[in-house]
Amino acid sequence: MTLQQILFIVISLVVLGSAVLVVTTRNLFHAALFLVVSFFGVAGFYVLLDAGFFAAAQVLVYIGAISILFIFAVMLTRDVITAQRGNSQWQAAAIVAGVIFLIMALLLGPFSVTIRGREFGNANWPFAMDGNAIKAAPGNFVGILGTGLVDLNQYGVPFLLAAVLLLVAMVGAIWVARELRGREAERAAAETAVDDADMDANQPVQEPLPLIETETHEAHDSRNAAATEKH
Amino acid sequence: MINGIPLYWYLIVSAALFCIGLYGVMARKNVIAVIMGVELMLNAVNINLIAFWRYITPTSISGITFAAFIFVVAAAEAAVGLALIISIYRNTRSVDPEKIDSMKL
Repeated sequence: MTLQQILFIVISLVVLGSAVLVVTTRNLFHAALFLVVSFFGVAGFYVLLDAGFFAAAQVLVYIGAISILFIFAVMLTRDVITAQRGNSQWQAAAIVAGVIFLIMALLLGPFSVTIRGREFGNANWPFAMDGNAIKAAPGNFVGILGTGLVDLNQYGVPFLLAAVLLLVAMVGAIWVARELRGREAERAAAETAVDDADMDANQPVQEPLPLIETETHEAHDSRNAAATEKH
Repeated sequence: MINGIPLYWYLIVSAALFCIGLYGVMARKNVIAVIMGVELMLNAVNINLIAFWRYITPTSISGITFAAFIFVVAAAEAAVGLALIISIYRNTRSVDPEKIDSMKL
């Protein structure tokens, strides 16, 4: 076994183990932390694949930004943080995911199973699945990638579209998550109340609908309290 | 740094990661956990793209360009999805995907 193979096995155990914990732990905050571990392992895969730029981007974008977003979201929805482990169909979900994995493994790997005299697996791909990479690693691939992304004859237009997508997503996220105030808040609360009366007619209402107004009031009060404490 | 690692190792690990994410999307009872599953699936796809680029077409940039776009889409998806969850939570005090059904026919 070469050092790379050992590294690969260690990294994949880390990635898959923490991914399993992400989808099974009860505490969502722990799930977010395991997600960070999993992202870090994926960055290790990128290093093994000679794609150092992507490893750096993985650490910056996923670990630096996306997991922080997740932790914020978990904290902001805190009173439901310890959810149940799975919903009513988790067994069916596990079976479906397992079957899909077996099919993919049979398609991709150099092994096969024989069911009723027919061989499944060991597909004949037009490229070497089990060989090592023969070609040398490209030297300056970040430079090639950069010029390709800004070159209008290559990927310039999709790159601009990606920039527009990011801008629209940012504006949309701010718009969706904004705090409603005044008349807007009253209208939204009224709409939610009507919706719930329509939809959950057969279900007992568990708790009175929190009006957004009162919520902002509370926030205001606590802010005032904090201010007075400071004084 | 890829001496001795066959391509299908990467593909099978990323298939496993994809299926774990799929299980999370289908089975979790909290929308934030569902989005975590989606992120795992996107990561699996990215491993696949970069592995194929490195092993089969290391001179072309198509594979890594796709991977870069998936980074962008994942960031946008996480931002909008989590904003939606916070907005829904503020209005209904729940993040259970089975209870968020006011758009259902």
